[in-house]
Amino acid sequence: MSKNKKEFFLVRWFKRMFLGARPELSMEEAEKIQTPMRQMISNFVHKPLAMTGLIVFLAIFAFVMIGPKYWVLDLSEQDATLTNLPPSSNMMTVPEAMLKAGIADIAAGNTYGIGTDVNGELYIWGHTRITEKIDIANVPDEVRAADLSMIAAGTDHVVALAEDGQVYVWGNTRLKQDKFGNDMEKAMKKGGKDWEVIQLEASNQFSAIVTADGNCYLWGNGNMADVKIKSKFQGKVAKVALTENEYIALLNDGSVAYTGNKDKNSPFARIPDEVKGKNSAVDVAATAKSVAALTTDGKVVVWGSASKGENNVPEFGAKVTKLYGGRFHYTALLEDGSVVTWGDNKYKQLDVPEELASVKIDRMFISNYQNYALDTDGKLHTWGLKGFTLGTDGLGRDMLTRIVNGGKVTMTVGAISVVIATILGIILGGTAGYFGGKLDMLIMRVAEIVGGLPFIPFAMILSAVIGTRLDPTQRMYLIMVVLGVLSWVPTCRLVRSQILAQREMEYVTAAKAMGIKESTIVFRHILPNVFSLLIVSMTLDFATCMLTESTLSYLGFGIPLPTPTWGNLLNGANNSIVIQQYWWQWVFPATIFGICTICINLIGDGLRDALDPKTIGR
Amino acid sequence: MGKYIAKRIGYMALVFLIVSFLMYSLYNLIPSDPARAELEAMKSTLKPAEYEQMYQDLRERMGLNDHLVIRYARWMGLYPDVQDQGFNGLLQGNFGYSNFFKQDVIKVIEAPMSNTIFINIFSTIAALSITIPLGIYCAVHKGKKIDSGVQVVTMVGYSMPIYIIALIFMFFFCVFWRIFPISGTKTAGAIYANGWEEFVDMFKHICLPVIVMTFASLGGMTRYVRSSMIDALSMDYIRTARAKGLKEKVVIYSHAWRNALLPVITSIIGWFLSIFSGSVIIENTFSLNGMGKLYWTGLNNLDYELVLAIQMFYTVISLMGSLLMDISYGLVDPRVRVDK
Repeated sequence: MSKNKKEFFLVRWFKRMFLGARPELSMEEAEKIQTPMRQMISNFVHKPLAMTGLIVFLAIFAFVMIGPKYWVLDLSEQDATLTNLPPSSNMMTVPEAMLKAGIADIAAGNTYGIGTDVNGELYIWGHTRITEKIDIANVPDEVRAADLSMIAAGTDHVVALAEDGQVYVWGNTRLKQDKFGNDMEKAMKKGGKDWEVIQLEASNQFSAIVTADGNCYLWGNGNMADVKIKSKFQGKVAKVALTENEYIALLNDGSVAYTGNKDKNSPFARIPDEVKGKNSAVDVAATAKSVAALTTDGKVVVWGSASKGENNVPEFGAKVTKLYGGRFHYTALLEDGSVVTWGDNKYKQLDVPEELASVKIDRMFISNYQNYALDTDGKLHTWGLKGFTLGTDGLGRDMLTRIVNGGKVTMTVGAISVVIATILGIILGGTAGYFGGKLDMLIMRVAEIVGGLPFIPFAMILSAVIGTRLDPTQRMYLIMVVLGVLSWVPTCRLVRSQILAQREMEYVTAAKAMGIKESTIVFRHILPNVFSLLIVSMTLDFATCMLTESTLSYLGFGIPLPTPTWGNLLNGANNSIVIQQYWWQWVFPATIFGICTICINLIGDGLRDALDPKTIGR
Repeated sequence: MGKYIAKRIGYMALVFLIVSFLMYSLYNLIPSDPARAELEAMKSTLKPAEYEQMYQDLRERMGLNDHLVIRYARWMGLYPDVQDQGFNGLLQGNFGYSNFFKQDVIKVIEAPMSNTIFINIFSTIAALSITIPLGIYCAVHKGKKIDSGVQVVTMVGYSMPIYIIALIFMFFFCVFWRIFPISGTKTAGAIYANGWEEFVDMFKHICLPVIVMTFASLGGMTRYVRSSMIDALSMDYIRTARAKGLKEKVVIYSHAWRNALLPVITSIIGWFLSIFSGSVIIENTFSLNGMGKLYWTGLNNLDYELVLAIQMFYTVISLMGSLLMDISYGLVDPRVRVDK
């Protein structure tokens, strides 16, 4: 009992003064026998490093086991507009100065926002870097100087209209995002200062303008998007709604038409009957892959490929007056001033803030994953995608979700492989150790062969040869089995040597004398005595199995993508672009995995020391 | 001793045969038909019946219709070939033909092998010259601050996956400070005036991999040397030596280190053998054209004759390693009689 050694002498004095002397231990207490297991635990608990390791590991373990319930993994998830985003939470943080000056227009880009105040001043927020060279925030000087009236944000470009009718484009202009059509140039020249634009829209690499005289001009990357309009509709357009690469138009006569030139069989060309007739529609909106129209009697019809619930139009409590489309969701403003949303809610685009019910909405700016609502007092309410805590990867997937779910996979695989290896090791080692003779010889030779095989290459071969015919889930089980089957040797040796030693003990002789079955002696009498050593070896094996799994996945022979593991999250990381520019894609998985393995090794070392007091200090 | 070695070698041969047979049958699980592949080009010019006839002939000539064991024996060089009745297999030095590189395996292996050896010699020397003095120093100064510091660093070094260490080092040395090139074994398109320049260029390229490998192996080895040294230092003969009034240096290097060397030397020999096998992970991460990378390429491109040959090579290396380890143990420690 050397506990009081640790206490500071003043504390000791203090205690002695007020609590009296520590009672002497009775003979019985001092001589109390502790089982090796209890001894080990009490030794372990007094090792600060090992305990820290244990606590940190348990925290990580709980995090990756419970986490997937909150960060649900969607294996098919990918979004081209959200790729390689750094960790951020400022995508909807509108500058104070703009709020003070009074908002004129806001355009919500995929990861950024851009707006003008009533003085024509320009503000940009969020993640604006498109590529290494191109940054939306690098606004050209003439735009800064111009008095802007309207603004629109595309995926990688921004379009702005000045009071004098001049249209500016910046951002990525390599794919003709700034090449206006001839007719538009003409109209712009002719209209000059009085060129009256009623709508300015931008989408994925293309943009559109609608003028007061019903003309619509489109321009941009024609290979990707529909930037043409049939001439018979020119002069009749009231409003357009742009999807990812096509558009529909609301005509002056109150009907909705597919005015584009791209494809007659486009899903958008099948205009529903409700909005085909004259004076049947009052508003149109579009998400990335679907379009919606608002009929005169306040009904909403959705068509196109609505795969994310865009066509689950809810019941409205009042008549819909305005319709807005995000990337995969719609927002409707009702007559009574309430806001109704439906569609995809992955980034909380649908969670309308409660305070919105008590204010009167003046205008709303909705696009992509962002929602901005301006009330009549000039206060701005936002909801939607604020940013990604740990950034996104090359396919636009949230890193945090992938790390948490990857951790779960890695830990599960590690744990199951260890269990397989331990069971194999116990059975083979127990048999070899207790029965000895030819059986022992045979098992130990097999163990030597398996143990002598180069581990990683052999696991790679097994995974490559057998794995080609399996689906991803089966392949995961395969990896567990391969790891288990290849790593039982140390456990087997340990169990065998321990049993060889225990076999000669008196209690085994006693058990034998009582006529107990041999298998019972091995597994019920001897094994519990070996158990504490087994725990140590299992802990260390767990680290090894996790490492091997992730190494295999890192090399591309483990668990295949898109299932995340800590190994294959780092798979794409070993090139200079990712290392340099997209640091968050490897730093976070590497950190959590590194900490995890260090912790397991600390625990294993601590356990080993706790078990064998001789090694303390090594 | 001679008898023991002979016995061990006999046993090794047996194990080698078992492993190679297992590997060979494993590869035969893969559905592939070399005869059909060879005839594929002529398929359109032949009539179906002719084609079928040729195909069957070819199968017969290639020996594809024989039993697995016979095919294995033929591949190994223990059974005569179909055509010329000669023995031409692994044991005769025919390692097969690489489908991916369109070359004999033995030729494909040449360059990567020399690269791997070049890299590993450096890293082994570097690692040994750091770990042994460091381990001794830590053992002598056990429990001091510097020892605890080294313990933490080695703990990190041996717990962390080597590719994470590689990524971190790459970030600092290649991206942040731009000291070393990020991958490859030579500058692309470089023409060297003389051998020395070539050596310098290659050295520059392999510097970072060597550093990473050294760092990663630092952990295990330093701890090993340290613990074996602590064991030795706690022995009675050390107390005797000190009591005699010997200098501390003599006590440490002459009395303790010699005894601590015993367990260390065996693992060093095992280490030297890995010079030939190379590291799959390091070579992949740094795109070094070495054995590990070759193995990875072969597996990825389903070039199984190549993979099989490399795998056999690995097996021989690891068998030799365990034999050498046992023998060397007996050599350095006369108390251990291995032939018993």
